[in-house]
Amino acid sequence: MAGEPTIVGLGLSPQGRRLGVSRRELRRRAIDEALADAGLHRRQVDACICIGTELEDLRYAGLTPRTSFALNSGGASPGLSVLVAGGLLATGQAEYVVCVYGEAWTGEAPRLTPHHGASTGTDLGGYSYGYPYLHGLVGPASVYALAAQHYLDRHGGGSEDLAAVAVTERSYGAVRPGAVGFGEPITVSDHQESRMIVDPLRLLDCSRPTDGAVAVVVTSPARAADCAATPVAVLGAGTGHNLENWWNGTMFRRTGAAPDAARTAFRRAGVGPEDIDVAQLYAPFSIAVLLQLEEYGFCDEGEAGAFVRGGGTGPKGRLPTNTGGGQLSGFYATGFTPLSEGILQVRGTAPSSQVPGAELCLVSGSGGNGGVQGSWAHVGMILGRPR
Amino acid sequence: MTTFRPYPGDVVADTADAVFWQACREERYLVSRCSDCDRHLWPAGACPDHGMAGMTWVEASGRGRLVSWTVVHQDYPSSFRGAPDTTAVIELEEGAFVHSALSCRGRPSVGMAVEVAFHQIGDGVVIPVFCTVGDDTVRDHRPPGVPPPGPTGEGVREP
Repeated sequence: MAGEPTIVGLGLSPQGRRLGVSRRELRRRAIDEALADAGLHRRQVDACICIGTELEDLRYAGLTPRTSFALNSGGASPGLSVLVAGGLLATGQAEYVVCVYGEAWTGEAPRLTPHHGASTGTDLGGYSYGYPYLHGLVGPASVYALAAQHYLDRHGGGSEDLAAVAVTERSYGAVRPGAVGFGEPITVSDHQESRMIVDPLRLLDCSRPTDGAVAVVVTSPARAADCAATPVAVLGAGTGHNLENWWNGTMFRRTGAAPDAARTAFRRAGVGPEDIDVAQLYAPFSIAVLLQLEEYGFCDEGEAGAFVRGGGTGPKGRLPTNTGGGQLSGFYATGFTPLSEGILQVRGTAPSSQVPGAELCLVSGSGGNGGVQGSWAHVGMILGRPR
Repeated sequence: MTTFRPYPGDVVADTADAVFWQACREERYLVSRCSDCDRHLWPAGACPDHGMAGMTWVEASGRGRLVSWTVVHQDYPSSFRGAPDTTAVIELEEGAFVHSALSCRGRPSVGMAVEVAFHQIGDGVVIPVFCTVGDDTVRDHRPPGVPPPGPTGEGVREP
């Protein structure tokens, strides 16, 4: 048996707005950094899983793996790529797998334009989600907004619950060099005064695309012992999908973590929510933190708002969460934002806000589209030292 | 009628729901149902338990309740003009969930009863819009996407 997939290399390029570097160059740098981190030669990479909006460019990066393919499920891709790497290892197809993402957003974001039956047009893109676009309900923010409205109405909460998430994440981002919120803490008032984007989500509830690349090297526990970097093992993982939640009417209460992904991840790791020291949650919008705190069982239903307002996700809280600033105030590299920070926390090498003695870290990711707006894949992983 | 908004044919890749849109032109609200398990599903497609074989279109009551709603203030698409509509998810009486525009006076309330109305948004293009039950005034609400009357520029979203 290959054992638990184990991460032995992390490469994190600069992350930020308009870096002026091409995406393949950002990816190349992240790959080289990950290989150096692991103490591996590039010829040792025998599989490459490529995440992003364009096909891989192995030639440019100087990789010659035995197999390489794209994996495209949005924010779930990085977590899923580590699980797929585990499959390549288990079936003898690879000994060292590189999973890489990198984007550089230049120019204006593409905007949807109706084509009224013309043969060209981009209405079916990931941000239109089909039918909801008929009514102007576009973009990932609208999915999270529907969940947020439902949440606040269901629990009688207010926008301050969302603000608490944004303020907490900014407090982490404000002290993390290179984060988009570095040196710029915010207050609840700042949040409440920021303009409405998609009701009830305000500007400070939303992440923005950033340029950057991330690469990880995944191998077996046996080979991990020979690598240079401190190994971080996937002690348990679980997948779930929001399409079933759409059919049964619970989609707007969930990011897809409940019920399947959370249950499976904890069962396979042999631990429970009470054992987790730190969490890195995929949350491009503030509401996703509240939902996942409940889906993963850290809070009872309806109590996540009070938990965050009480400092539960802060540096001295029960569950420090999104300790690099998350996607709101750190950077947005799809599911690599939480995954990279999770690796650093378990290694004990986070450049700021390191949680002392962090042994177990929950990492999550959501993305893709199963055919209804918001029906995406979800993956949860519990990271820790190899056992 | 000039419109900048997408039409039903713009947002799906095939004609699986052509029957639905034809019925909207006749002001009839259909939902797809699996005849093997009597489950109602939206959007049109295969039943998660029985596949496509038993799927049929049936007339729905056109009534339901509001599950959630939002207003998209950010000007993401170039395809809508005028003040943003309230958009919503409705649970139909038949059990299916649908995305729709919502027409109601005052702040929407999750759980409130709604019923369908039909709005023409283009030549021969009719879409369903859900309205507060019993409020005839909202049925006469301007069609989504048509700018409200008023001075030039009123209600236009900021870029």
